[in-house]
Amino acid sequence: VDRNNFKTCDQSGFCKRLRPLKPEKSQYTLNLDSVFVHGNVLSAEVITVNNNGEKKNVEWHYALRLSALVDGTFRVEIDEAEPLYPRYRSMVALDGEPKGDILKLISNENGKLTLKNSQGHKVIITAEPLKFEFLDKNGEPAVVLNDNAQLFVEPLKVRNGDGEETDIEGSLAENFKSHHDSKPRGNEAVSIDVAFPDADQAYGIPEHTDGFHLKTTTSGEPYRLYNLDVFEYELDSRMAIYGSIPVMYAHGPKRSVGVFWHNSAETWIDVVNYGEGNVVSSLVNLVTGGQKRRVDARFMSESGVVDIFVLMGDAPSDVYRQYSTLTGVTPLPPKFSLAYHQSRWNYVDEADVRSVDEGFDSHDIPLDVIWLDIEYTDNRKYFTWHPIKFAHPAEMVGNLTAKGRKMVVIIDPHIKREAGYFFHEDCTEQGLYIKNKDGNDYEGWCWPGSSSYPDFHNPAAFKYFAERYRFENFPGTNKDVHIWNDMNEPSVFNGPEITMPKDNRHYKPSQDGQDGLASFWEHRHIHNEYGVWHIMATHQGMLDRSNGQYRPFILSRAVYSGTQRYAAVWTGDNMAEWGFLLASISMCLSLASAGVSFCGSDVGGFFKYPEAELMTRWYQAAAFQPFMRAHSHIETKRREPWLYDATTTSRLRDAVRRRYALLDLWYTLFYEHTLDRVPVMRPLLTHYPKEEQTYTIDDTYLLGDKLLIRPVVEPGVSSVKVYLPGRDSHTVWYDVDSFQRHEANGYFTQEVTISKIPVYQRGGSIIPRKERVRRSSALMEDDPYTLVVTLDINNTATGTLYIDDGETYDFKSNKFIYAKITYEQTAMKYIITNSGNYPTRSWLERIVIAGIKSPPKSAKLIQDGKSTALQMTIHRGNDVLVVRKPAALMAKAWEIQFSY
Amino acid sequence: LSDVPRPRGVSLSKASLYSPSKDFTCFDGTNTIPFSYVNDDYCDCFDGSDEPGTSACLNSVFHCTNAGHRPQNIPSSRVNDGICDCCDGTDEYAAPNTCSNTCDELGREARAQAQQLAELHKAGNSLRLELIEKGNIKRSEMGEQLSQLEKDKIEALKIKEEKEALKSDIEAKENEALKVYREAEEKEKERKAELEKEELLKEATEQFNKYDSDNDGLLSVNEIRVVNVFDKNKDGEVDQEEIQYFFGDSENVDKDTFVSSVWSLLKPLLMMEEGMFRPEQDDQEEHDEELPHEEEQHEQDQEGEEETEDNEQHDLNIDDQINDQAKTYDDETKRLMDEASEARRLYNDAERAVREIESNIRTIQQNLEKDYGLNQEYATMDGECLEHEDKEYVYRLCLFDRVTQKSRNGGGEVGLGNWGEWGGDGDNKYSIMKYTNGVTCWNGPARMTTVHITCGLETKLTSVTEPYRCEYKIDLTSPAACDDSHFIQQQQKKESHDEL
Repeated sequence: VDRNNFKTCDQSGFCKRLRPLKPEKSQYTLNLDSVFVHGNVLSAEVITVNNNGEKKNVEWHYALRLSALVDGTFRVEIDEAEPLYPRYRSMVALDGEPKGDILKLISNENGKLTLKNSQGHKVIITAEPLKFEFLDKNGEPAVVLNDNAQLFVEPLKVRNGDGEETDIEGSLAENFKSHHDSKPRGNEAVSIDVAFPDADQAYGIPEHTDGFHLKTTTSGEPYRLYNLDVFEYELDSRMAIYGSIPVMYAHGPKRSVGVFWHNSAETWIDVVNYGEGNVVSSLVNLVTGGQKRRVDARFMSESGVVDIFVLMGDAPSDVYRQYSTLTGVTPLPPKFSLAYHQSRWNYVDEADVRSVDEGFDSHDIPLDVIWLDIEYTDNRKYFTWHPIKFAHPAEMVGNLTAKGRKMVVIIDPHIKREAGYFFHEDCTEQGLYIKNKDGNDYEGWCWPGSSSYPDFHNPAAFKYFAERYRFENFPGTNKDVHIWNDMNEPSVFNGPEITMPKDNRHYKPSQDGQDGLASFWEHRHIHNEYGVWHIMATHQGMLDRSNGQYRPFILSRAVYSGTQRYAAVWTGDNMAEWGFLLASISMCLSLASAGVSFCGSDVGGFFKYPEAELMTRWYQAAAFQPFMRAHSHIETKRREPWLYDATTTSRLRDAVRRRYALLDLWYTLFYEHTLDRVPVMRPLLTHYPKEEQTYTIDDTYLLGDKLLIRPVVEPGVSSVKVYLPGRDSHTVWYDVDSFQRHEANGYFTQEVTISKIPVYQRGGSIIPRKERVRRSSALMEDDPYTLVVTLDINNTATGTLYIDDGETYDFKSNKFIYAKITYEQTAMKYIITNSGNYPTRSWLERIVIAGIKSPPKSAKLIQDGKSTALQMTIHRGNDVLVVRKPAALMAKAWEIQFSY
Repeated sequence: LSDVPRPRGVSLSKASLYSPSKDFTCFDGTNTIPFSYVNDDYCDCFDGSDEPGTSACLNSVFHCTNAGHRPQNIPSSRVNDGICDCCDGTDEYAAPNTCSNTCDELGREARAQAQQLAELHKAGNSLRLELIEKGNIKRSEMGEQLSQLEKDKIEALKIKEEKEALKSDIEAKENEALKVYREAEEKEKERKAELEKEELLKEATEQFNKYDSDNDGLLSVNEIRVVNVFDKNKDGEVDQEEIQYFFGDSENVDKDTFVSSVWSLLKPLLMMEEGMFRPEQDDQEEHDEELPHEEEQHEQDQEGEEETEDNEQHDLNIDDQINDQAKTYDDETKRLMDEASEARRLYNDAERAVREIESNIRTIQQNLEKDYGLNQEYATMDGECLEHEDKEYVYRLCLFDRVTQKSRNGGGEVGLGNWGEWGGDGDNKYSIMKYTNGVTCWNGPARMTTVHITCGLETKLTSVTEPYRCEYKIDLTSPAACDDSHFIQQQQKKESHDEL
């Protein structure tokens, strides 16, 4: 990375201004006389007071709203009471207006207000200095706002240009390298501090590369959230990269809580973990009164209002659900998108695509999707095809879909400024581009050369962009061509920090009497959400092109709160190095906890060339990460799986086949994610919240609550340390390769070979598999299931299975099966829980029961009132019982009875 | 024959291994199962041998007879997956209407194609035999040439020695004669230097006397304060810094000091004032800038060593000639000089002749070492260049030499590789040529090209592609690749493989 291209806190005006501000006591005071509670909202006036001399002078007036929301969530908003013109509020993060709970004022005495929601969480507001304490159900403080007096809302001021304001640094304009920011509105930053009493660790605020749990920032740079295209980004860094999700969680044995800082502008976050050895102990004593467990954070944003959601938890899965209730979940993806993707910058022409497609068949490696990067276009003009290299796109796509495969093509937001290019001419004529500070179409430099960028805030631009996806507007595409939205930070090669100037102008609906600065938004206000607008328009376009019938698949590089509702994400332009393989786990865990479950990294690494061992380990790891796509840079050596030596190829094949065998588990987990809103890929602490050792583990994770994965991320090892959680609950874990049983007891040493990565199935769970190898997931649709049952200490297990057509929205009209599967010593039952149905032709091929000490003597299947005796085989070495070919139809309920 | 009863997906050759009248034992012997478990859509054998006709085993093989065309073995994972893999459609028996039987049609096409290929090979083979004959002739000609050249070389070396002796003989005499002239020249130079020194002294003394206004034999600070010339920075006064520059720390200087040190500082200023001289400093800078350039030039020169030698000799001669013009020699010396230069010319000619022969020998030796195919069928093509144009580039393959690419929009040639080696697998070594070590790609490897040769009546390029970045693939047809008997052998091998 070239760090000189990116700002430090000191080079970012508001961060430099706000970070050193540490008043002894907050200047903000609640006007108790103004308090009004109605429904779920408390509103009141907040003032800042100038204590110069004996007389208190009111400096500024603010409006406070505190709302109680459903599911243990509060929202605190502080805006200017009468701002010169409206301050920006992020428009795309929330999945609709949050639903209100009830809020009761239960006392108002001694300058303190006490309020309560329906779940028994309390809020104590101290009027002077202003402070908000959120108490858990036991009445203990869980989250405190403005405890460190770092609440600030810089008021908008009239600019008269007479130099009066210049005493405040950088308020009139800022410069970075050769870039000038005219800052037409002057300073408008906001900030607040959050304290998490009793917390051991904080995590969240992706996207960063310094691991899952957050580190104390006092002696270095704060964490930065500003969507940026960082060339060759580095590891172990708090620098901003492609994504910015301002949600932070804090966790300790007592509880999990979180805050969501609802702001789309550039944001810096300081963190102090008083439990960390390197935090000065005098400070620890001062702030926490000797209590070592506490994390403080401080959010600073360049513009907007103070708008912070407090998530009261109290379990990890509660805070995830609370955040996803606000910002939405990843909808059920089309099934193919969970399978294996093959990409490269670039498959050079149609013949190349064909030979890659055939290569997978001749090497018997399943494949669902081939990707085309920017070179498929006619000179990087999106929605066109290269006239020579991709002259027959429909035929090319047809060749793929004939084998159940799909294609993904890239559509970036930069539009080539070229006379005769319909997109450019339409946008120019209709005024759909983002404007520069002078109100003219902004021109930046990106892949196509001189480019402009659609202003999706403008409904006409949004509509125009969405309509380009119609099959008639993008000939050669059909329902099986899906979309990759890259470079949407947005990336501007010649812009400040490789992105757009902050004083660029975005559309704002015209309102009476608003002109001048009030008639447009600046890019600074909306920057982090630009990428969401891009994918929203794509999503709308893809829905419309099939009249809402098929589920779109979109991949986005920029990430912000709400991204998950429209797209999968990947960790951008990583490198073929072991450190980046490890980072792929913590980065995706962090994103998943922040609502974005559908995450992966470029398998093998984007830059450089992965040697056989690294490539093998990356495939093995990615087989157990939500989004599995191999991708590589145009200048690197080709690396389709068969271009390695034959042994390596067979290991890569094996990894991909493992992925396909578990596709129905993935699919079921993603379905359940839409119900329970808990990440698909989960940190261990999710289900073992009291085991303190798990808090900082980020090379091991869970899929659902069933599988534990510890990818091998180091070269040349013959064993790795694996942490198996659940000692107190007597959890047992079964090695999925050998069915060897391990009692949970913290760390143990697992032997590995180059063919093995440690994966364990939790005792007490049932996992569906499809073990027949096909060329693509679509061809597996009717294939039979194997159910793998691993017994807990009570010899029971449960599992689930979701089945539908894999690509349409018919599941919304109940055309699906969601089955609960239970195993007890005497019977195994398959119960369809929903009232609808789906006519699957799949059947039950085999049941594998691991950990069975006393096997049954006989078994019979009962379905449709018919009873059939079943064959069984017991494997004494590892206590595994295999029930042979029950042949039950999965479209209907069944039961298997065991006798002893 | 195909009516022999056997489980679905089993080839004729394996039919006997499946007997309905007894239990089935997996081929690997690990399990024995009732015969009813064969093809019951459940995998009982590790080796997949119990499920040749279903997709139940990961590793089993489905055989389709494809009557009318070639039989085929497909991975059984392709059975009943909705895609027609066998032309007889037997792999999709679960949904009988999925596939139609296209074997007759395909078989007809394949046979016609095979027939065509066979004819092509036959026709090409006679051309190939001609190429072989010509190749062998070429080789033996090269052998003859080589031995002739070896003989020529001996002869030429003899001449060279002779001429060298003559040359050193006459050069010694020439040297002796020129000695007198050189000494005289030396003396003349000394005399000139002496004169210059005197001139300088005179000039300095004149100036000294001019500035020494009180004529006390000392030039004082006060005396020079009024003299414009000492005002080095031309600011209208002679300041302390300027005095320091000329006088150092002294208050005054005597005549000797003036002549020996001050004058040299003052003279350029004086001349500049008179417009005769550019400041020395500027000159120095220009010179500095040129230096690295000259070094570069020099390095470049060194690369072509032979050339440099010639050049130097050439330069020497020119120097001599210039001197000649300036001087007058007596007739005897002149004669000796003429003779010496004639001897040098003859020697150079003799040496050049040797070098030429040696270079020819090297070329022929290299060519003789080249592998021109099993029977020298490619020998006559060495150096032959073929071109192929696509929409963007013109590609040029010079056989056994190099491959280049040139943009049709102009720009220079890019080397895509130099002749490396034959690179086909096993029996087919001579089906692929490798040209390696082309121009290095940005951030990547050196470009390389593989040339895939197939039988054709003409030697020509049929396509050029870049399947991997910086790795090019050329398809070449040539009668040299039309080995009839090899072709028939391969066809037979393929057919026998199909029957398994």
